[in-house]
Amino acid sequence: MRVIIFSWEYPPRVVGKLADYVRDLALQLAKNKVETFVVTYHDYLTGEFEEGGVKIHRVTNPVKTHISVLTWVLTLNQEVERVAANIYYKTGKQISLIDAHDWHFIPAAVTLKKALAIPFVYSIESLEDHRSHGANSPFNMAIKSIEWLGMYEASVIIVKSKWMAGEAIRIYKVPEAKIKIVNPESGLWPGDILEVYKSLKGAVFNYG
Amino acid sequence: MASPLRVMMLTWEFPPRIIGGISPHVYYLSKNLAKNDVRVYVVTCDFPGAPDHETVDGVEVFRIDSYKNPSPDFASWVYLMNMNMQKEAAALVKSLGGVDIFHAHDWLVANAGIGLKHIFRKPLLATIHSTEIGRRNGLHSDYERMIHETEAWLTYEAWRVICCSNYMVSHVKWAFGLPEDKLVMIPNGVDATEYAKGVVDLSQFRQRFALPEEKIVLYVGRLVYEKGIQILISAVPKILEKVNAKFVIVGNGYMKEPLSEQVKHMGLAHKVLFTGFVDDETLRNLQKCADVSVVPSLFEPFGIVALEAMAAKSPVVVSDTGGLSEIVEHDVTGVKVYPNPDSLAWGVTRVLLDENYANRLRENAYRMVVEKFNWEKISQQTKEVYERVLGEYSKTFWA
Repeated sequence: MRVIIFSWEYPPRVVGKLADYVRDLALQLAKNKVETFVVTYHDYLTGEFEEGGVKIHRVTNPVKTHISVLTWVLTLNQEVERVAANIYYKTGKQISLIDAHDWHFIPAAVTLKKALAIPFVYSIESLEDHRSHGANSPFNMAIKSIEWLGMYEASVIIVKSKWMAGEAIRIYKVPEAKIKIVNPESGLWPGDILEVYKSLKGAVFNYG
Repeated sequence: MASPLRVMMLTWEFPPRIIGGISPHVYYLSKNLAKNDVRVYVVTCDFPGAPDHETVDGVEVFRIDSYKNPSPDFASWVYLMNMNMQKEAAALVKSLGGVDIFHAHDWLVANAGIGLKHIFRKPLLATIHSTEIGRRNGLHSDYERMIHETEAWLTYEAWRVICCSNYMVSHVKWAFGLPEDKLVMIPNGVDATEYAKGVVDLSQFRQRFALPEEKIVLYVGRLVYEKGIQILISAVPKILEKVNAKFVIVGNGYMKEPLSEQVKHMGLAHKVLFTGFVDDETLRNLQKCADVSVVPSLFEPFGIVALEAMAAKSPVVVSDTGGLSEIVEHDVTGVKVYPNPDSLAWGVTRVLLDENYANRLRENAYRMVVEKFNWEKISQQTKEVYERVLGEYSKTFWA
C-alpha cells in the first residue's frame, strides 16, 4: 500500500492539534509497512525529508502576499498538486490513495482524483461551522463550499467522534454510510485506519 | 505531425460572455487555429443561456460551473473559480485521452493552468494581455501585490509567454524579471470582413448621432484616466475653432459623470454625445461613419480599437504610446500625437481639413490591417510557437 497524506501542518510547523496527530499517523503507517508520503507546507524548509520511514515533502507558497487564509490556501494547492504528481510519476503511477486532512488541500485531492483516478479519504479534525461559530459571510461560505466538495468527492470520510459524524450529517447532509468513526484513543488505532484504507473502492494495493 | 495538435485553451471569458478583450481574442485565435488543423478545446466560465458544451466554428467549447456563491472580493472569486475550472478541465483531459499543450490567458486562469501542467506533465503557454502593475500604474495594496505575484507565478511556470506588442514584451520582461528568450511577440488581430458586412444606409444611420454638416470625431473605450479621454474633452474647443464637428464618446467608466459636467460648463453639451455602451453592429457602423477616430491613451498594451477603426476605414489619430506607437506609422497609416490637448487638436484638425490626406491614411491603414493583423497569420504564428515548444518538450524527461 502506498499512501500520500495531505496536511497543512506537520512538525516542526505546528498550528493546532492536527500536526502531532498526522505525524503519529504517518509514523504508525510506516511501521505497518505502508509506504507513506506526507505533503505539507513550510515557509522556507522546503524539499524532501525522511523521518521514521516517512517521506515528507514540504512546499511553500508561490504567491507570498495574500489577503486571507482562503486566497493563501488556493494558490498553495497547485504546489501540493505538483509534488503529489511528482510522487505519482516517480512511483510508476502507483498510489493507492490520498488521505487529506481538513479542507486546505481538498481542491488538490479532488483534481488529482479526476485527473489520475487516485481515490481519497477526507479526514476531519474540525469544521468551518465550529471554527467560525456559525458565521456565514462570503469568506466562511467559500471554506464551507470546499468542505462540501471534499465530502461529496471523497470515497470515505473519517471523523474522530460520534458527535463529529453527526455534525457532518447535520451541516453537509452526508450519507451516514460514507462516514467512518475512528477514535485514536480506542486501542484499535491505527489498525482501524488501515481497515478503512483497505475498504476503499478503486484503490490499488498490490503492484506486482 | 501525424495526428492534429491538441491544445486546451483556458480563458475566463468566451463569447457570449464578453467582459474585455480576452473574449474576442480567444474566439478568433481558436477559430483560426481550428481552420489550421489544430484541435482546440476551450474551457471557460458558464454564461446564462449558453450551453455547457458546443462546437463553435470548429472549436469545442466547454463551459464550467464557475463559483456562484457571493465572494469576499473579485480575486477570491477568481481563485475559487479556478478550483472549479481545474477540477472540470482535469476530468475533461482524462476523458479526451490527453491534450498536448495548455494555453492560459492572463492570471485569471493561472492556478488552473499551472496545476494541469504538473498533473498531466504537458507544457503550459501563457498569453499576458495586461498587467496589474500597468493597469494601476504601480502596486499600492496587498490585493494588488497578490495579483501581481500571481501573474509572475504564471509567467514563471509558462514555457513561453506571448505578448501582443513589442511594448508589452518589454513591459512584461521588466515587470516579472523574465529572460528575453521566454517571450514571444504575436500581435492581436482584427477581422476586417466583419466590417464589410451589413447593408444599412450609413447616411441615415449617421443622422442619429450628428447633423449632416458636422464631422464625426469618434472615441471608443472605457472612460478612465489611463485611456486619456480627458485629453480629448479638453481639446474639443480647440478643434471647434477650426472645424464644425460632433464628438461621439462610446463607453462607460468612472469619469463619465465629471466629464459630462465639464462639457456642460464649457457650454458644449450639444457638441459632445456620450452614448454609453452600444451593441456590436452600432459600434461598427459608427466606426464606418467616423471622419476621424481618436485613441488618446496614456497606457495602452496594444490598442485594438485603433485597428478596428482602420478596418472600418476610418482615419486614426493616436497618442504615441505603448502598442499604439507600433501600430501606427505617422503620416502613413495614421497620425501620432503627444498626449496633450494642443497636440491632439492639431492632429484631429489636420485629418478633418484635408480630405486627400485622410483618404490616403484610410487606404494605407486598411491595407496594413488586412496584411499584418489578420487572424490567419496570427494563428499560424501561434501554431509555430506550439510546435517549437513541443519540439523542446520532446527532449525532456516529461515526454
